[in-house]
Amino acid sequence: MSKNLSRVVKLSLFALVIVMALPLLVSAQTPDENTLIIGQSVDVGQLDPATINSRAEANIFFHVFGTLFEIADTGELRPYLANAYTISEDGKEWTFTLNEGLTCHDGEALTAEDVAYAFDRAANPDNGFTGNTSGFVLPSIGFQGTRVEDELNVTIITDRYQTPNLRLALISEVYIHCKDAYEAMTLEESAQNPIGSGPYRFVEWIPDDRIVLERVEGYTLREANFQTQIWRVIPEASTRVAELIAGNIDVAANVPFDQSEAVNASGVAEVQAVSGTRRIYVGFQFGENFADAPGYDALQKTEVRVALQYAVDVPTICQTLLGTSCERASSMVNPPNNNPNLQPYPYDPAMAEELLDAAGYPRGENGVRFETVLMGPRGRYLNDANVVQAIAQYLTDIGVQTTVDIRDWADYSQLVRPKEVGPMFFLGTGGGTWSALYDMADLSGPTAGTNYTNWNNSEWFELWDSLADIRDAEEERAVVNQMLEIFYNDPPWLLLYFQPDFYGVSNRLNWNARRDEWIVIYNATLK
Amino acid sequence: MVNPAISISLKQDVRRPSVWRRARFSLIRAKWPLVAIAILLVVTFCAAFGPLISPKDPNRQNLVLRLAPPFQVEGANPEFPLGTDGLGRDILSRLIYGARVSLLVGLTAVVIGGMLGTSLGVVAGYFGGRVDDIIMRIADVQLAFPFILLTIMVLVVLGPGIPNLVLVLGIGQWVTYARIARGQTISQREKEYVEAARSMGANHWRIMFRSILPNVLAPLIIISSFNVASVILSEASLSFLGLGVPPTVPTWGGMLAESRDQLLAGKWWLAVFPGIAIMMTVLAINILGDWLRDFLDPRLRGAGF
Amino acid sequence: MGQYIARRLLQSIIVIIGVTLLAFLTLHLAGDPTYLYVSERASTEEIEATRVKLGFDKPLPIQYLNFLSGMTRGDLGLSLRSRQPALDMVLERLPATLELTLFAMLISTLLAIPIGIISAMRRGTPLDGGIMLFAMFGQSIPSFWLGIMLILFVGLTLRWLPISGHKPVLSLLFEGNVEQAIRNIPEAIRFLIMPAITIGVFSLSRNARLVRSSMLEVLSQDYVTTARSKGLKERAVIIKHAFRNALIPIVTMLGLEFGFLLSGVVVAETVFSWPGVGRLVFNAITQRDIPVVQAAVVLFSFLFIGLNLLVDILYARLDPRIRLR
Repeated sequence: MSKNLSRVVKLSLFALVIVMALPLLVSAQTPDENTLIIGQSVDVGQLDPATINSRAEANIFFHVFGTLFEIADTGELRPYLANAYTISEDGKEWTFTLNEGLTCHDGEALTAEDVAYAFDRAANPDNGFTGNTSGFVLPSIGFQGTRVEDELNVTIITDRYQTPNLRLALISEVYIHCKDAYEAMTLEESAQNPIGSGPYRFVEWIPDDRIVLERVEGYTLREANFQTQIWRVIPEASTRVAELIAGNIDVAANVPFDQSEAVNASGVAEVQAVSGTRRIYVGFQFGENFADAPGYDALQKTEVRVALQYAVDVPTICQTLLGTSCERASSMVNPPNNNPNLQPYPYDPAMAEELLDAAGYPRGENGVRFETVLMGPRGRYLNDANVVQAIAQYLTDIGVQTTVDIRDWADYSQLVRPKEVGPMFFLGTGGGTWSALYDMADLSGPTAGTNYTNWNNSEWFELWDSLADIRDAEEERAVVNQMLEIFYNDPPWLLLYFQPDFYGVSNRLNWNARRDEWIVIYNATLK
Repeated sequence: MVNPAISISLKQDVRRPSVWRRARFSLIRAKWPLVAIAILLVVTFCAAFGPLISPKDPNRQNLVLRLAPPFQVEGANPEFPLGTDGLGRDILSRLIYGARVSLLVGLTAVVIGGMLGTSLGVVAGYFGGRVDDIIMRIADVQLAFPFILLTIMVLVVLGPGIPNLVLVLGIGQWVTYARIARGQTISQREKEYVEAARSMGANHWRIMFRSILPNVLAPLIIISSFNVASVILSEASLSFLGLGVPPTVPTWGGMLAESRDQLLAGKWWLAVFPGIAIMMTVLAINILGDWLRDFLDPRLRGAGF
Repeated sequence: MGQYIARRLLQSIIVIIGVTLLAFLTLHLAGDPTYLYVSERASTEEIEATRVKLGFDKPLPIQYLNFLSGMTRGDLGLSLRSRQPALDMVLERLPATLELTLFAMLISTLLAIPIGIISAMRRGTPLDGGIMLFAMFGQSIPSFWLGIMLILFVGLTLRWLPISGHKPVLSLLFEGNVEQAIRNIPEAIRFLIMPAITIGVFSLSRNARLVRSSMLEVLSQDYVTTARSKGLKERAVIIKHAFRNALIPIVTMLGLEFGFLLSGVVVAETVFSWPGVGRLVFNAITQRDIPVVQAAVVLFSFLFIGLNLLVDILYARLDPRIRLR
């Protein structure tokens, strides 16, 4: 009935199709030989070097700013902006000597005064900084202040001695920036506009899209191979991997291991699996506020906690849910700093049942010994929700009827910090390869903020306090080994594994991923 | 801010005695609605008798047998006809249990939202004036408030779980019902039968819910049929964002969301089966909704949903 | 008309206050946000100090009043996470989201109208059946899944379109860089197609069905018959009468759709790495970055209110039976 109309309609449809098809003819762009593109899952929140709230921010800062010392990928501590240091008689004042001729990206000379400024600025409560530097590093070294000795020498004043590896590792997370540049900016400006001291200069940040960095020509402390670095934000893992396989990015962080095969088969990229330093464990809650929770009484008994160590098949969890073989942790300390005499608990459910029988928790008529709850986060650690469910299944299998309570990470972290998680909870905390003490600092006191289980083994804490007076490395080692044995025999944690990390790396690149979740990539080269 | 279109008068006069008979006739004439009903019967059966017909415990894991393919595909395990998921759980059993949750969430959320919205809408339309103003301002606040934020509020404050998910998805849609019920009530308010009831001394509640309500119900029933489908889809989207039901509870949306890391790896069965389940169910509900609309009131076609 | 608009604006203020109060209470009832702003190894004292820094130690009513008095001055506070003015952060990402939603709306309405009309004209034919079946499927696919499938097939296997990312146009226009904006358009459309389909396919399907049924209804109305009998050309009949009336339900949807659109946008922006407001707000909620959430909520309620006012005025033009009250 309406030839005219249908012609109009057809024409307009045709026109729309043409308009939509036109862009198909434009060619796609791929990374060139001067540009390196990295895909991460989260964006930075801000770019002030004194506030670090995430790994993503630290990755950018590492390339834009220099530090006094740096942690090498081997875990060894290397000089960087500084070339030497001396320790005062009482061990509290550390004086660093800077390299000559350093400059910041705005051209001003980088001297002792600037280093002092970077520390003082982060510590100044008026600036209201939150995050890693002011919230963790400076308190951990007992920061008191700075003193400029001369042009190249600066002293960091603290209230305690620390074993050098631990202190240098902490200090290598303080990013050095120049006084004149930062005094000229408001806090609002400095959060957008980093003026660095490292091998790459900040160019632009398009929030939730990309950060672009450009090589500083003539920078001598680092050999940077790519002229441009683009750090893209690609939150969805499948999208990140698709971009990698399509050849649009060079490195994809956090590749789901189930997609490794697809990546490797593409001929474009390979997946690198590294054994990370993050310690993953199930904590047993000792806090009184859980006294009425199911299973609390049973879990107070050392025998029960030891028995549960035998119940979980950690190697199988690693193989199936983490996509790699792993060695089970024998303590909270990352190898190679752990106690070599301690053998990881084997998977032996019969042994677990035997120990539980002996501890006074036989199976009831319904096959249940006791009931309890395992809390865990979702979306924070590798495959976390699935691992939590798998652990609950293993515990249920030996008669410890375990209910799972999984929360979104934002909610979960609000419960973990005030220690309102239990009777069992799943958690992972970052660790290091440079010092056993760094890993053990989680349990630096019965009420320490990071002692999430409220563990109160007096032997352990007495030995911890005694470490403050020990300066001899061997003596320190002996005490550490003794402490780790205490931890092993009266476990506040159900020991699991060190979290593996997966990076998808383009075949055009020579680059090795690090163990400690840092993406350090200035040294990458084309094949 | 009240949408004037809603107050376009939609006259109807559903003669109740013959409704069921006419429905039977109309259904037999049309083919698709019958197919839709058959699909929904199967889903409802699964939901009702899940524990009896499900071959396995849907949460029983077996890590060694994870990602086993379905049917006769190479590497398949005959114990798991539709294969296993990333934790080695039986997909068939999870689908059957998932029917229960998806239907429960869809239906209850719509019932909650529908009842709340309809009563408020009828009250607002009937009394008008200040009561109307207050209720409609609250509706405006809710409409202007991004739904996703509301969802997170309820799920975070009350904790995750099916009851809270149902509550938030229900609350999320009361406004639609309220607006339509209000418009319809306004158009009915001055009718003779209402006047008659009033003159016979019936109180307000009686007039509103015994006299007016039956006459404004048709468009609301139609909308609710479409909303059941959209709630099932919302549950899937929320699962994708990590805000759905806890991962221990099998739902179709949750299964589909979990499958996304496996698509590139070629483990298609993780996505295809829950995907088919969602699509068939939503499709069936939509077809049935279409039929219901044509049957109850063909004039509603253009009324904005 | 002027009086009507004034009344509506007054109502809007009440709505905005209600919206901000709801958002404020929500985020505070959800627990103490301080813990998200300290290092994972911070001590109890450091946590307490951070709480004071962020202002969470003050009583809730005071915190809310501070926020309201700031809002009247156009100051919605600084983001807790990035220390930038919260409103600026939202405005900065708004162009990308607008591009996405406008393009999605373009697809869902402009395509829906001809498709719906064809379907109505060819009622009962296989073409009509096929279109309606397709529309049914379009209404039953979860959007995130469609998005990932598009990436894998159109983006990765066929390599027709870029997999993820964004090319700015609107933000350049706002900056006054018209030349670059125009040069970006072809590339920008390539980036837009897949995410816009992901968001728009549900509305497209629904609108196509809507247009079809209201066309069918309108075409059988008396005034269309009258118009035809007056000897008007068929095209004129369709455009002047039928089409105009068929638009009414679509306009209704435009107004109501806005609130729902944001949740669709969150999903599409996540899947396609689109730097828009949806992801910003979603991240801000999970990080309890209260000022950013507030700023977005306020901005979106303004947009919503404005859009609805527009819709109502549009209505009055489309349908003379409707009077603005």
